[in-house]
Amino acid sequence: MSKSDTDGGTTVNRAERPLGLPKWAAALLPIILLGLIMGGFFAATPFASLDTGGEPLPDVSVSHTTLPNDETVVLHVTNNGPGDVRISQVLVDDAYWNFEVQGAGGDTTLEPRESAQVVIPYHWNPGWDLDVALLLSDGATVHHTIVAPSQSPGLTGDLLLTMAVIGLFVGVIPVALGMLWFPFLQSMSDRWLHAILAFSAGILAFLAIDAGFEAFELAEQVPGAFEGTALVALGIIGALLAVQAVSAWRKGRAAAGDARAQSGLWIAYLVALGIGLHNLAEGLAIGSSFALGQVSLGAFLVIGFMLHNVTEGPAVVAPVARGERPNVLHFLALGFLAGAPVILGGWLGSLAYSPTLGAFFLAIGVGAILQVIWELWGMMSRNGRAASALNLVTFLVGLVVMYATDLFVAL
Amino acid sequence: MPSLDYSRAAELTEKLEHRLVDSLESDFKTTRRAVLGGIGLAGSGALMSTGRTDNGGHGHSSDSHGNFGAVGEYSDLDFDPHEYLYQFNTGRGEQENVPQDIYEENGRTVREFTFQAVDTTVTIAPGIEFPAWAFNGQVPGPTIRAVEGDLIRVKFENLGRHAHTIHPHLRNLNPNMDGVPTNGPGVLNTGESFTYEWIAQPAGSHFYHCHSLPLKEHIHRGLYGAIIIDPDPERVAENPEEYCEFHGSQITDELRAELVAEAKSRNHEFSENDEVNEMVMVMNGFDTNFDGDNEVYAVNTRAFAYSVGQTDGNGNWQAGETKRPIQLDKTKRHRVYLINAIEFDLINSFHTHSQFFDYYDHGTTLLPTNKTVDTVMQCQAQRGIVELDYSNHDPGLYMFHAHQSEFAELGWMSFFEVV
Repeated sequence: MSKSDTDGGTTVNRAERPLGLPKWAAALLPIILLGLIMGGFFAATPFASLDTGGEPLPDVSVSHTTLPNDETVVLHVTNNGPGDVRISQVLVDDAYWNFEVQGAGGDTTLEPRESAQVVIPYHWNPGWDLDVALLLSDGATVHHTIVAPSQSPGLTGDLLLTMAVIGLFVGVIPVALGMLWFPFLQSMSDRWLHAILAFSAGILAFLAIDAGFEAFELAEQVPGAFEGTALVALGIIGALLAVQAVSAWRKGRAAAGDARAQSGLWIAYLVALGIGLHNLAEGLAIGSSFALGQVSLGAFLVIGFMLHNVTEGPAVVAPVARGERPNVLHFLALGFLAGAPVILGGWLGSLAYSPTLGAFFLAIGVGAILQVIWELWGMMSRNGRAASALNLVTFLVGLVVMYATDLFVAL
Repeated sequence: MPSLDYSRAAELTEKLEHRLVDSLESDFKTTRRAVLGGIGLAGSGALMSTGRTDNGGHGHSSDSHGNFGAVGEYSDLDFDPHEYLYQFNTGRGEQENVPQDIYEENGRTVREFTFQAVDTTVTIAPGIEFPAWAFNGQVPGPTIRAVEGDLIRVKFENLGRHAHTIHPHLRNLNPNMDGVPTNGPGVLNTGESFTYEWIAQPAGSHFYHCHSLPLKEHIHRGLYGAIIIDPDPERVAENPEEYCEFHGSQITDELRAELVAEAKSRNHEFSENDEVNEMVMVMNGFDTNFDGDNEVYAVNTRAFAYSVGQTDGNGNWQAGETKRPIQLDKTKRHRVYLINAIEFDLINSFHTHSQFFDYYDHGTTLLPTNKTVDTVMQCQAQRGIVELDYSNHDPGLYMFHAHQSEFAELGWMSFFEVV
């Protein structure tokens, strides 16, 4: 500031009227110029002489299939390429077959990033693989193998009920059971309570790692046009930042003297939210496996999930083990928030499954969990050293316990 | 070596059992129980092998270059490929699961059969079940046998989940009877029935199969079988040029007589036919993993069913309970109605060891179309008649198999045991 006194005051003027324009005009100027250049390109086609007539290759993917009845096969296709593609013929097991393209504006041409359904009237056999190929107008083929086909469940009361019951058993009940450790947690010393928090963090870290790999794996099935890997990265970072923003807002409130915002209950809710988002993705996985007929919902699988999820209960309630015991309604709400999304996920997964949706939900769960680990870390360091030997060991134990219980769950 | 059938072999087995077990055990290192079980059905197969074992001395160890074939025996005995070989249906009620009748109608012999398409499973290799679609529950379907000029009436009912037809490889004058989706009743859905009527012509070794779409699936799942049409000697005498490659003007009385004699030997209603040992062999394959390629190849569905139970690769072998050679009486002529029902592979073949045979393509001629060959090739649905003469051969094992080595090692490996 002392220097500005020597330049005759010109900088002040420039800041107020850049290039002698009003502020709003200066903000719009680059955009207007960009628009003019783009318009000029379309009008003058200056690169026409450089065009070698090269044509982009067709890029069509089959993201998934549904089998609404035993005489129909539906392929969900997306055009990932920059040009139009026309689905001219369809082969089923190396034989030309009837088909109809639905959802592409009444024709068989897919514009870039356009998705459609190819409906094939084919009397398929449960469990007998089908190799389906789309023959495009230039003769290129897009192959898709339907492994061990089984009928997709339709929207029925039965299905909704089945998924609700499954969700109750694998989500809500185990989390609620886990929360019953609350009185035990209350009786613990700070040192051991921190160890339990580290254990919870370990559990969450495992879930994040597991779901993260799964999300990237699933992203490979996402049609290229939707950039599956980037979508997963966006989901993780987006969820992390969104939950962190809520948390930062809460801290601001607490600093400003809001008593409610200071309690551990906030963190408990954040943990429940993170676990809830994770369980939503878990529900999606269960629902979609159910829809694809690739899961036998035997007692063993349900017990595996229960063992896996029971450890999430103490993770939710550990943050409120100090201070005043919250109202029992809060416990119900926490349990519901953490466990019930399995039901919602189950419904979504069995009815409207797509790899894009699945990968995105998994990614959101990962982001939310990472934020919760961050939060737990902060909670532990406030009252002592977070990276104590005991805390690190229990963190590791959390990871190992989840790995071990995960072995019981093979979807 | 005298001709020896399985019942006599069983008697001999009884007498010689202990001696056999002692010698076999040391050679094959098998349990006493397995050896006894093998002998129970193996008959002279085991006897022969013992003879050779005794001559060849003891102490052979198993040779890793001599062993082949699927491990184990067939436990499902619903279908016996050895029985199927000789199981013809002429309308006289030969086969229990094929309701049939024979009667005269408008001066013509009618042979009537009831066929039902069902969904079932068949055993294609020891321990391997294949979900099949089958006529009257068997793969290949029942063998129909008629005489040239007869009317074949097939009352067909579809009890399978999918729509089926029966399409005969015969000279059919009525397109409605062709058994294809576009003609007559078209495909028959679950529960529907239709009565097909076909004129038994021309004489030969023929083929029927389902012609519903997808075709590859409907055929390779098992909906096929043999139709044998015997030549009518009277008709042969009148139109000899239709049964050989000579022009009518070239037919001598001697040739005419020869053709009529051959027709009688082919016609099951003549005693001359009893002198010939006739067998039906349908070469087939099975795609068990939906990859559009066969994992199992066989003659008459069961891989290695006409092979040996086991061998040490040093010249010793043993018949199994369900895997055993086809015994041939060397004093007889032998005729194979050979049909290629393979899918996914372009061709199949039939090759005999130490033997040359006469081959009648499609079986529509009474003079061989290929004389003195040891290998014939058939494309999908091609068929023919193989006539074999082992009268000058020493008794023993004579291998026959597809000469696509891949097919042979995947199940299409067989033996004749000349006795």
